[in-house]
Amino acid sequence: MKYALMFIREDEEGFLSRPDHGDVYQSINRFFMDLGSNGKIANPGAELQPMTTATTVRWAEGKPLVTDGPFMETKEGIGGFTIIEAEDLDEAIAIAQRWPAHDHAVEIRPIVEHGEMGM
Amino acid sequence: MSIDVTAGGGGAADAISAVFREEAGAICAELTRQLGDLDLAEDLVQDAIEAALRTWPRDGLPDRPGAWLLQAARRRGIDRLRRETRYREKLELLMSMASGSSEGEPDDRLRLVFTCCHPAIAREAQVALTLRAVMGMTTAEIARAFLVSEATMAQRIVRAKRKIVEAHIPYRVPNAEMLPERLTQVLAMLYLVYNEGYLSSGPERSTARDLCADALWLCRLVDRLLPDEPEVMSLLALMQLHEARRAARFDAGGALVLLRDQDRALWDGDTIASAAALLERARRLGSPGPYWLQAAIAATHAEAPSYEATDWPEILALYGALLRFAPGPVVRLNRAIALWHVGGAAAAMEEVEALAPALDRYHLYHATRAELLRAFGRHDEAREADARALELTQNPAERELIRRRVESGGEGAELSDAGMSGRRALGEV
Repeated sequence: MKYALMFIREDEEGFLSRPDHGDVYQSINRFFMDLGSNGKIANPGAELQPMTTATTVRWAEGKPLVTDGPFMETKEGIGGFTIIEAEDLDEAIAIAQRWPAHDHAVEIRPIVEHGEMGM
Repeated sequence: MSIDVTAGGGGAADAISAVFREEAGAICAELTRQLGDLDLAEDLVQDAIEAALRTWPRDGLPDRPGAWLLQAARRRGIDRLRRETRYREKLELLMSMASGSSEGEPDDRLRLVFTCCHPAIAREAQVALTLRAVMGMTTAEIARAFLVSEATMAQRIVRAKRKIVEAHIPYRVPNAEMLPERLTQVLAMLYLVYNEGYLSSGPERSTARDLCADALWLCRLVDRLLPDEPEVMSLLALMQLHEARRAARFDAGGALVLLRDQDRALWDGDTIASAAALLERARRLGSPGPYWLQAAIAATHAEAPSYEATDWPEILALYGALLRFAPGPVVRLNRAIALWHVGGAAAAMEEVEALAPALDRYHLYHATRAELLRAFGRHDEAREADARALELTQNPAERELIRRRVESGGEGAELSDAGMSGRRALGEV
């Protein structure tokens, strides 16, 4: 079973501006190293630049419309994501609970696997 | 079983419900293990229950109702899976399943309970799913008990089951590391079911199933399958303490009787004593948790010879400790009532006034405040507070009580039914 872990944070400034970002990165690196050495990473994913860098394309009556800013007008946004391999939701929760940056929230979403649905 | 269920009436319905309760969860757990599919297993058991509800009242209970239900569920499953080729493997499993009983197999109902109460499922859906899968209640019964339409309830159940499948919620008892948190979910579900039954109960039962009896039964089952868990034991004791007082809660005319005015001779002393013993055992197993504290409050009330002779300092201390687990305004309100008896009306009033912003929409807040205002002779304000309380509650027994108090110019006791007062409090934990 594959799950996406989405790391959600208030990121007006982005991660790098935080005074302790060196320590945080170190512990996050350790998190990924541990996961990787246990064969739990299906796709390492990516860290995203802050929401201030976002551009959104949407469609209005069939015509593309480009706007500045993120799609969701909220203070919190997805700062990064990774895709893990876990037996079931409880294992995914256990992995998410080891995420070291506690000012984040981690949203867990199962990945649609088209192959298994007979498509 | 010699009960004649064809006679109709409440006794017959109770007998059938009792059979469902004993059998449905076990069959559902058995089928889930065999088929590896809780969603399907649960649907089949529900179909079997519907079939039983059509035939048992007419033909009487079968000799072995559990075997009857299992057979009905299997047969129904075979019919259904034949039409769907992708279920061929499961069909074979069902066909080859021993038609006999599942005796000797481990009791799998605990796995079922933990799966239904997984924190990834919303509390109201946890409740609905547990009542259906473990207790064998029909969707219609659950909808009636929680005052929502059957369609809404059905949708709630379907969504929760879909989530179990799509998010791969495991079918197992959680490991030691996760157990404390998961047990909290199970206890909160049980507590909610019990409270719903307790608050909606009256001298005349309006629903086919007695939710209090169901919650008590399931709590006992969890205690048996997961022994020596102090908070399970404490919740069981809490429910028993309320059951023990049940006969005194309504007068002959069907009106609610307050704790202060209850005839304590009607309380069931044996049940109170065994609940107190259970609490004592729980205390020796670990440091007091929120259910232990709640139960200890109820026990202190239950063991008091009279309202006046209640050990109020003890109750005040217990509420103080409970605040550490449930720092919500409802617990503070209850603590304020204990404070009234220990430290006087002025101290209590100060505490109650401070809660105004948080509890303005809570009827028992205004009812309690009315009581306090009356103690200071501020009758006009007290009447206003009572009127506000009346506006805010739909519960007919409580409405009647407040109305009588308003009409009699304030004679009557505080409305807050101490001990059961944590209703919202523990929801906040």
